[in-house]
Amino acid sequence: MQRPDWAPDTIDIERPSVARMYDYYLGGSHNFAADRAAAQAMVAAVPEAPLMAQANRAFLRRAVHHLAEAGVRQFLDIGSGIPTVGNVHEIAQRIDPESRVVYVDVDPVAVAHSREILAGNDRAVVVQEDLRHPDRILAHPDVRKLLDLSQPVAVMVVAVLHFVSDDDRPAELLATLRDALAPGSYLVLSQASDDGRSEDERAEAERVYRRTDSPLWIRNRAELTALFDGFELVDPGVVWVPQWRPDTPESAEDAERAVFMGGVGRLGD
Amino acid sequence: MTESPGEATRPGTFARAWAKAVSGTSYLPMTQAQLEALLHRLTGQLAGALLAEPFDLRAGHRVGAELVAAHIASAEGLGRTVEVIQLRLVRDLGLVAEDVEDRMARLLAAVATGYARALRDRTLDEQESIRRAAMMARTQAERALRASEARFRHQATHDPLTGLPNRTLFTERLTAALNEPGRGAQRMGVCFLDLDRFKVVNDSLGHQVGDRLLTTVAERLREALGEHLVARLGGDEFVILVEGASGTDAVVEVAESALAAVRTPAVVDGHELQVTASIGIVERQVAGATPSDLMRAADSTLHWAKSAGGARWALYDAERNRRELARYALSAAIPAALERGEFYLDYQPLTSLRDGRLLGVEALVRWRHPELGVLRPDSFIALAEETGLIVQLGGWVLAEACREAEAWSSDGVEAPFVSVNLAVRQVHRPGLVQEVRTLLRQTGLPPERLQLEITESTMMSSAKEPVRALRVLADLGVRIAIDDFGTGYSNLAYLRDLPVTELKVAGEFVAGLRSPAVGRTDERILASLVSLAHALDLTVTAEGVETAGQAERLRAIGCDAAQGWHFGRPAPADRILARIR
Repeated sequence: MQRPDWAPDTIDIERPSVARMYDYYLGGSHNFAADRAAAQAMVAAVPEAPLMAQANRAFLRRAVHHLAEAGVRQFLDIGSGIPTVGNVHEIAQRIDPESRVVYVDVDPVAVAHSREILAGNDRAVVVQEDLRHPDRILAHPDVRKLLDLSQPVAVMVVAVLHFVSDDDRPAELLATLRDALAPGSYLVLSQASDDGRSEDERAEAERVYRRTDSPLWIRNRAELTALFDGFELVDPGVVWVPQWRPDTPESAEDAERAVFMGGVGRLGD
Repeated sequence: MTESPGEATRPGTFARAWAKAVSGTSYLPMTQAQLEALLHRLTGQLAGALLAEPFDLRAGHRVGAELVAAHIASAEGLGRTVEVIQLRLVRDLGLVAEDVEDRMARLLAAVATGYARALRDRTLDEQESIRRAAMMARTQAERALRASEARFRHQATHDPLTGLPNRTLFTERLTAALNEPGRGAQRMGVCFLDLDRFKVVNDSLGHQVGDRLLTTVAERLREALGEHLVARLGGDEFVILVEGASGTDAVVEVAESALAAVRTPAVVDGHELQVTASIGIVERQVAGATPSDLMRAADSTLHWAKSAGGARWALYDAERNRRELARYALSAAIPAALERGEFYLDYQPLTSLRDGRLLGVEALVRWRHPELGVLRPDSFIALAEETGLIVQLGGWVLAEACREAEAWSSDGVEAPFVSVNLAVRQVHRPGLVQEVRTLLRQTGLPPERLQLEITESTMMSSAKEPVRALRVLADLGVRIAIDDFGTGYSNLAYLRDLPVTELKVAGEFVAGLRSPAVGRTDERILASLVSLAHALDLTVTAEGVETAGQAERLRAIGCDAAQGWHFGRPAPADRILARIR
């Protein structure tokens, strides 16, 4: 049954949360028994799962670092999850303490946790919203207060789009965000891809995530590239995430084991 | 020990090997170069600790804790660290000490201990923080749920147009007021308010204006009756709950304030609207009352106020209500009573004032009620007219009168005509002509021995059909009489169109003939009516003649016939007929 619009979320920690499962893959303890059980089932199906999460997190770190170095001072991180190590604001504010970051997540526990972590940081804030409602995100008073949309913003949609079904029209969601951005803005995108994977592995992974509120929607490189519509892809384009501007050549080895593909696009003038 | 220049690169070799060993064991928020720099620094600390005199456990603890703080914080991270230190530290750094194996074992133990402690603390901290976050989220969700429930409840208990409480909330409050007399209230009141002729506003100015008028009325009622619950039940119906009423006067006062609030002209969309309202008031003791009884009582009381002309309040009267209920029950029982044959007819003579001859008889219906005894028409006809049952009952009376009257003509004696009252609804009903024709044919009663009595109000409508029907009946030979002439609007225009044979003058003019003072006027009116009727070729029958004196004066005026106790009370047909046989 669809919950009526006026009914708020309920908090059920007996149900695995994809944000806390991700924290578990990263080696964090911000998770509950149900999250760990689901994450362990995922690892049993796809042994690289923790590696995937780490590789994706490293991609996020490198992308934020790259953009901050390129002069971007505003970040909108949608699907930010549990704010474990290596947050966007930590990276960006190390380069420029004036950098502003808005985190957005749909998971109320992740949001409550972020709020606690960000207490006292008046240049970073968290908003509870859904990627599937980009207009609400853009209209949110906290977003409006912290971000100046007439100036470049880096929109991060990292490791979250695989929870958005094709029925929710991801291309349109991204287009809504794009249309609100100033020239010189960026889109950082990554998600699980099935390029080179067996049907079995994919089916097993999808089965695990059906236990959560967020079933998986895996997409291939061509689909992911198409989602950068309106942006110019920054080198090296849409690649396995370890291949995106690696710190060292070795760290890009066996890149396809990371399962995640990603890229960065720039909105032209 | 001091490091020679050649050995300076060795800690770097070790740190690189260490970095390689721990990468991928957990997520590290730093580049490989940053990781190597960190481990290079820790390598120096490890080397120092291994050679320090005396051996200091705390150095090993610190290295373990620093690793966890740098997020090299997993079981695998520790395992690989122990392995790489044990295998390579002494060798890569060329460390020399007497009891190096011993010291290495103690150093590894210290690193592992410091690491495990730090990891445990970190785990506990993170668990605590995620639980706290879950709790906060839950508190927030519950607060939001309560707020949305409150919002939902408000929607469910209020009228969206006026914002007033709706029927649901009113019923709740009324029920609570009745069920919790512990609140000290002994008596309570309900004012059931309905706008007079609100439909006219809606129909003539449109629903938008109507809705705005309702909103205005609602605001005024709320302002005027602040302390009492004002609810909108729907349409133009409002209700006021007066809890803890000190008595009838207090509730009447509330009703009067409400009437005054409504009465003030309202400007809606440029129209100045002056509306009035009617209110039914029930004021009673709390004990023994139920919400539905109370609302039913308020509703019928409202109808009393309406039928008294509106723009007023009416106070519930249990006795009146009982009478109405009884009347209602009686009217509802008419169809069954007809089937069981509980009705019968009495007849009252219509006597010629010229020669005392019995000209005709008026049929009067009686109800031999199994419980109430014989009922006269005034106890059930009015309600039968309201409910429409009069058509069925009147049809029976007409048929029965025709059937009985036919039997009266015998032995060459001129039989009297039978006069039957027709209700407005009967006259307006299509098929009246057919009904009478069929009756006359079936019973064999000659048309001129049937007289139909209609009232002036029957002719007040502009409908053409009744006039046409009556004309057809008159053409057949049926007599048409106007009953109660002189008490209605006495619009004489219809006399032009209608083939009327007779005017029956209402008994109240005749009653005036008793007293000399009033009698003069009444006598003149009667005289004028008689001369008018005669001028139009109509006969006049006076009703309600009770004394010989009245009869004498009517005869003097020239009145043709009379009816009343003086000439005979209603009685069964055979008793009346016995007089002429």
